[in-house]
Amino acid sequence: MSRYYYYLVLINMIANVIASVPAILLHFHDDGAVSAMIFAVVLGPILVFYFTRFFNHFPGMTLPELLQKTTAKWFYNPFILFLAITWFIAGMITLITYTFLLIRYLTPEMPIIQISLTILLAVIFGCLMKTDRVFYTIEIILLLTVPLTILVFIKAYTNENLRWEFVKEAALYFNQFPNLNAFSACFFLFLGSANLIIFNRFFKNKQNFGFKQLTLIVAISIMTLFTTYFIPIGFNGVEGIGELVYPWITTSDSLRMKFSLIERVLFIFLLFYLGIAFLSILIHWHVSIELLKYVFNFEKFKFKGFKFGVFLPIPFYIGVSLYFVRLLDEYQLFRFSSIFYNILIIFFPMMLILFFFIKRRMKNVKKAEQN
Amino acid sequence: MSSEEILLWIRKQFENTTELTQKTLDYDNKYALLFYVKSLIDQELLQKLIIKPFFEMANENQFKAYLIALPQFQKAESKEQAVLEVTNGHTLIVIQHDLYLIDLQLATNNQVSTTSVETTIHGSNIALSENLMTNINLIRSYYHQASLSIEYFTKGEVNQQKIAIIYDKEHVNKKALEIIKQKLQQLDQQVISASTELNNYLNDKRFSLFPQMLMTERPDRIVYNIAGGKIALILDGNAQSLIAPAVFFDFMTTMEDNYHTLFISLFVRILRYAGLFVSILLPGLYVGITSFAPEVFRTELALTVAGSRIGVPFSSFVEVLFMLFFMELLLEASIRLPKVVSATATTVGGLILGTAVTEAALASNIMVIIVSAVAISTFVIPVNELAFTIRIVRLILLLITSVFGLAGLTLGLYGLIMYLVYLDSFGEPYLRLFNYQKAKKSSEGQA
Repeated sequence: MSRYYYYLVLINMIANVIASVPAILLHFHDDGAVSAMIFAVVLGPILVFYFTRFFNHFPGMTLPELLQKTTAKWFYNPFILFLAITWFIAGMITLITYTFLLIRYLTPEMPIIQISLTILLAVIFGCLMKTDRVFYTIEIILLLTVPLTILVFIKAYTNENLRWEFVKEAALYFNQFPNLNAFSACFFLFLGSANLIIFNRFFKNKQNFGFKQLTLIVAISIMTLFTTYFIPIGFNGVEGIGELVYPWITTSDSLRMKFSLIERVLFIFLLFYLGIAFLSILIHWHVSIELLKYVFNFEKFKFKGFKFGVFLPIPFYIGVSLYFVRLLDEYQLFRFSSIFYNILIIFFPMMLILFFFIKRRMKNVKKAEQN
Repeated sequence: MSSEEILLWIRKQFENTTELTQKTLDYDNKYALLFYVKSLIDQELLQKLIIKPFFEMANENQFKAYLIALPQFQKAESKEQAVLEVTNGHTLIVIQHDLYLIDLQLATNNQVSTTSVETTIHGSNIALSENLMTNINLIRSYYHQASLSIEYFTKGEVNQQKIAIIYDKEHVNKKALEIIKQKLQQLDQQVISASTELNNYLNDKRFSLFPQMLMTERPDRIVYNIAGGKIALILDGNAQSLIAPAVFFDFMTTMEDNYHTLFISLFVRILRYAGLFVSILLPGLYVGITSFAPEVFRTELALTVAGSRIGVPFSSFVEVLFMLFFMELLLEASIRLPKVVSATATTVGGLILGTAVTEAALASNIMVIIVSAVAISTFVIPVNELAFTIRIVRLILLLITSVFGLAGLTLGLYGLIMYLVYLDSFGEPYLRLFNYQKAKKSSEGQA
């Protein structure tokens, strides 16, 4: 598998270390979170496997292109629009979460609109880039941010305040019935490969995706989930962990670097994780805008030869995000993302059925093309 | 057209000038007519190669054969070309109906100079000269391949500038070559006087911050890049050549990187990239931390910074802008001033202004350190064009930080990276990480 594929999977996983996923998980820490995680680690890779295998069958083709060939128009347009909105919301959740984080920990006296505008303006024009350029951006920013983030994780694991008794205690809850909300939050981590619905156009050659590649993804996901869930517990204890809004931020603030210019690890973590949040939004919104291009014919809008059509979604994206940033508070965001994740666990397995149909019909299309 | 008419036509072209010399050679049934511009040709050579043999030859036919055999002989395709070449230092000889062009150009600018912009300690110190033929000679003598191709274009309606495109036919990036040729053909400027000017004309984006072509004066760099499939453009009368397509990393390497041993060049490279980040980020970081989030620094450091700012009447943004402005002025002045004065200017500006500013409490001590660190680290960037760009990028990031704080600075940096990735240089992505799969079968395509 090309290295670019792993970026898609990886970013969706690590971006959510900081977003609402750990908060949701820890909220249900005594109510089936651990078993939900185990459940997700089993079911998630199966979904990843089928998604990737499906797109491997059709190298260089996006989902809308496949649908165009195989389904009717009444189904195609609303479905793509629905997908675009889903991906938009996924990006927006990251955006709002990060805006709340920044206002709480870095610049409390700045207006919230201004903070979210910073992120919005940095990301939004990147979403219009070509798909290969999005990948190159991802690669470079990951190279800049990941080493420091890993350093923070290592610092956390080697810290003397990390109590393994707490971790063991939390792990004892594994025998409960899995919680649905916790399961869907975990499951969301695995949906990175779903970005292939657009990004597959980059993978023009047939990739090989088998057991070895899947094992790597499972290993990464177990590590991420373990870090996300157990490290905050190790630092803060099982009592009252469900009340923390940003468990990982609180955890990173209990780390110190004695000899560095910046003593509190929190700030390094915050600023470098901003890069990963940035990439997560970039990926989701790139997919979303590309999907919209299949529904609406943006090329139509011209002014003196200047095609401003592609810029049309931008004010809409900025406007809706700003509206929700002001509307929601942290608790509502928590509920909102929880509901969103719950919808996704129904929706994505259903897509596998759709894939089955596409695959069958594509055989007919290929046959027709050959004749 | 008879020879009479041709002669008339040629005379008419030069009617208004006194530059053209016309000489008639007539002896012993032999007859020849010479046209040349006196200031352009080597008169000794003319005497030795043409006039003396003329009188020694038995007949006109033998003289004709002799002229064709001369290494300086060039065929005249048309009378228009003949006239153009005469202004180029050729001598036009008319015998009966035939036109002969002999290149007797007197070149005074063919001295190979030493490097002045891209100096290195190791490696060659030879730079391009201002003469096109000498330059091509230099490159050919460094690059022995039959596939090395050179194509000439003449551009600029008024000054008829000669442009040479040099590339290795086997390795060249064909897409880029096509784009360059196409753009050169579309070029309709009146005067093209410098290669850097050509750079601007070939770049079709009007507001481009980053250079699209690499400017260099080093033949070894040209050879290195040609071997890598790039295309070099040299203008006659210019000691700078252009190399395209250029990517971001080209601007961050010096030729010396290849001449050092692994660890030394690695160290120097790391130093250079650190310098790049310092020169871009440091002013913004200062503003972001002092004005928006002083708690980011460890307590002792935060107190030192705050302590040194006691008595400074400005906000940190104005303070940085103020000092950066003077630094830029100093830089600009030291480039323009004659060498004799520039040392004084830097001393007065740098040392005296620096101490006076802190004593007058118009800027903090730490600010002076930051400004000098920024200035020094800008000089670390090896290619001048990028250094100029970085000076502007720094200001933009400073502005973003003063509005959006530290998060703005971080996102500004990511945005900058995104912008660089988005850019193209003649069909090549401007910034992308290791492309090692190009050699093997690439597993992904472009989209």
